[in-house]
Amino acid sequence: MISAIKRSLDAFWGRGDAAITIPSMDGALRPNSLLDQAPALVALPSPDNLVVCAGEILFSSEDGLFALKQAGPSSEKRHVFDKTIACLAAHPSGALAVGTAGAIMLRGGGRDGKVFTQIEGRPLLCPTALAFDGPDDLIVCVGSRTLQPEDWKRDLMQLGSSGSVWRLDLDKGSAVCLADGLAFPYGVMLDSSGAVRVSESWRHRVLRIEAGSAPETLVGDIPGYPARMSPSADGGSWLTVFAPRRQMVEFVLRERAYRERMMREVHPNYWMAPALRSGGSFLEPIQGGAVRHLGISKAWAPTRSYGLVIRLDATGSPMVSVHSRADGVRHGVTSCLEIENRLIVACKGGGVIASVDLNELDKE
Amino acid sequence: MDPLIEMQRVTKEYRGVPAVKNVDFILQRNEVHALLGENGAGKSTLTKIMAGVTQATEGRMLLEGREVSFASPAEALGQGVAMVFQETSLVPSMTVAQNIYLGDEKFFNRLRGLNIAAQQFLQSLNFNVDPWANVAGLGAAKRQMVEIARAVRQNVKVIIFDEPTASLTPEEKHHFFSLIKRVKERGVSIIFISHALEEALAISDRITILRDGELVATDLTSKFNRETIIQGMVGRQLSGELYSRKDRTARKPGAKVLSVQNLSMGAMVRNNSFSVYAGQITGVFGLIGSGRTETAKIIAGVQKRNAFYGGEVWLNGRAVRYRVPAPAVHDGIVYVTEDRKLEGFFETQSIAENIYTGLLAANLNTGLLVGMGQIKELADQWVKGLSIRAIDSNASVIELSGGNQQKVVIASSLVQRPKLIIFDEPTRGVDVGAIAEIHQVIAKLADDGLAVVVISSYLPEILNLSDRILVSRLGRIVEEFSPKQATEAKIMYAAVH
Repeated sequence: MISAIKRSLDAFWGRGDAAITIPSMDGALRPNSLLDQAPALVALPSPDNLVVCAGEILFSSEDGLFALKQAGPSSEKRHVFDKTIACLAAHPSGALAVGTAGAIMLRGGGRDGKVFTQIEGRPLLCPTALAFDGPDDLIVCVGSRTLQPEDWKRDLMQLGSSGSVWRLDLDKGSAVCLADGLAFPYGVMLDSSGAVRVSESWRHRVLRIEAGSAPETLVGDIPGYPARMSPSADGGSWLTVFAPRRQMVEFVLRERAYRERMMREVHPNYWMAPALRSGGSFLEPIQGGAVRHLGISKAWAPTRSYGLVIRLDATGSPMVSVHSRADGVRHGVTSCLEIENRLIVACKGGGVIASVDLNELDKE
Repeated sequence: MDPLIEMQRVTKEYRGVPAVKNVDFILQRNEVHALLGENGAGKSTLTKIMAGVTQATEGRMLLEGREVSFASPAEALGQGVAMVFQETSLVPSMTVAQNIYLGDEKFFNRLRGLNIAAQQFLQSLNFNVDPWANVAGLGAAKRQMVEIARAVRQNVKVIIFDEPTASLTPEEKHHFFSLIKRVKERGVSIIFISHALEEALAISDRITILRDGELVATDLTSKFNRETIIQGMVGRQLSGELYSRKDRTARKPGAKVLSVQNLSMGAMVRNNSFSVYAGQITGVFGLIGSGRTETAKIIAGVQKRNAFYGGEVWLNGRAVRYRVPAPAVHDGIVYVTEDRKLEGFFETQSIAENIYTGLLAANLNTGLLVGMGQIKELADQWVKGLSIRAIDSNASVIELSGGNQQKVVIASSLVQRPKLIIFDEPTRGVDVGAIAEIHQVIAKLADDGLAVVVISSYLPEILNLSDRILVSRLGRIVEEFSPKQATEAKIMYAAVH
């Protein structure tokens, strides 16, 4: 009763949950232009999930699976699937798990060709991230029960929280639910203690999930929508953030009637919603002086897209970050890998895979 | 050589302690003379003797060759010597015209006639001030204009300015300097006290430097440069201590102490967001009116944010909303004001009482009754710790120089055992020697693990002190720089565009 009254008062005054505030990008998240300055390895449409499989770097780009050749640099197409690849996971043995809207397929290893279309009776409509937990188990993030991965914007605008995380037994096909009711889990990795870390995009946080206990928030109030994670050499992790939080979007997320009408009448590319890339059309929201001043793009403009990778230490505290700001183009970062003091970053929005020299990051 | 004022071996003692010792000073006719020195060097005392505010203990003063001794400022004014104090002596509730003619009113006054006369007079000086305007609503520069107009109207021969530019914006300063030139063209001589050495070098014809109440040097401005002035003022090279630590390593951030999210207050603070970390000095630069002070005051509970959608302030992960400063102080937030004379201390109270008042405000005092010995003991610790130069801790704060007053304000804040301390223009109106000492105090606080915020309009100070530099514009933080990245040009660009 009291909490209901408090909610009503907060909604009236614009306080508490109704404050519509977002944390600032400063301190360890201080903006820089390292991502834009980094050399591009490959330019392809929508490069996405990066993995290391049997010593080579693989990545997805729309429906194609590519190998990244650092010499050159260039890419080599390895396979084309019938649907857009949503996520990848690789095991040191050479096994590769590929998630698309509706299925998870295994390639290589002892279970080559095996396909999972359901998980405990639920259709695998929206696999967003995968991680091997030993050779026999696969951790699966399901972003939504009803929508496909490409419909992530709609899931956000519907305030979706039907995501879940599963441990899938690759031999038996059975699965154990590790967490349910999540708001678009979009990244998963195992930390040094064997616990599962999951990024929950719409709640802007990273969870630590251990068997038999409730998920614990490792990092909260991230000023963006977190995506996939990968381990860092210092025992911590790299967290990609595919879009920034903006007050306008936060405001729209509180206005149900507005959102419903927007979803009915406006093309998703022009919704007041986060985006993997922006600035391509005059139909987009947030334009004019908010973004450009005297013909120069403002680095601090409140654009809907951004490029950000954060290094977290073992305890989850942000340490440093790599940015492509509002005036940059390498936005919509969804995946990264640390390899030999370089950070390979897939900018899905920017259509490029870049290689950031981590020595430069230490100088910042 | 045509001396207008000549001070010969002038000495002034307060309670047996000399503030000025055997000083010789000559003001030539039709010159701008800069009087420089650290706080406590005796500049104000010397000029106060000239203006009749106080009288010399020894020595004599000649005005146009005649020996004079003024018993009051009114007497000095009658002889053509006016002094414009740092805090203007205008009556805020009266109009500009009324202030200009204050003390000169007839038995029956026609307000319209007064305004017309004031307007004509202001126009003759080329001062763009509305005579009908209420002084309370004027900016610092326009108040200075009214003050100057009032002095010039008395047909004075000498105007003494005490720190006239301390509270002016860069544009206002520019305007003020052109006023000085115009007043000089009318045959008025000017004595100009300032801590801004560049201003003295730019505007004056001659410079006199005082140190510890004694004359150190007096010569044509062309014979001085910044280095020689500083050396004359403090008696040692200070360039190595001041504004030259750009190549130092920035402190690593500790835990996030403060997170300000979309803070709003009227037109002054608009959607302001930033964080402050323990063990670091967070420098905030911005032009006047960029909302830095208002943001700091909202955080510390001195001002209130917007009632509707005013944003949030998180202190150590807890949302806080202070309506008065007391709970903020209790939670460890301390704001050191930019306007120390108005908000920083009780000027008639002693150093000890002022410092103890800080303790009382934080509710850290023990027991209902407090002995004066206890108050003095606490004060003595801080007087020693912060090198506050005073006869003893029972001296009134009003008797102290600006730098020492600032140290008292800092001491009364530090006794509150803050976790987050916000310094707003910590070295405004403070001499170079005290600046170096205050900078050391601020740096030590950060080294001790406190979260420190320094708000300053002076770029070298921000560049020298800060571990991270935030730039404020139009009521919000628009950019952050590391000390390595930051240059004056980059910071200024972010502050303006």
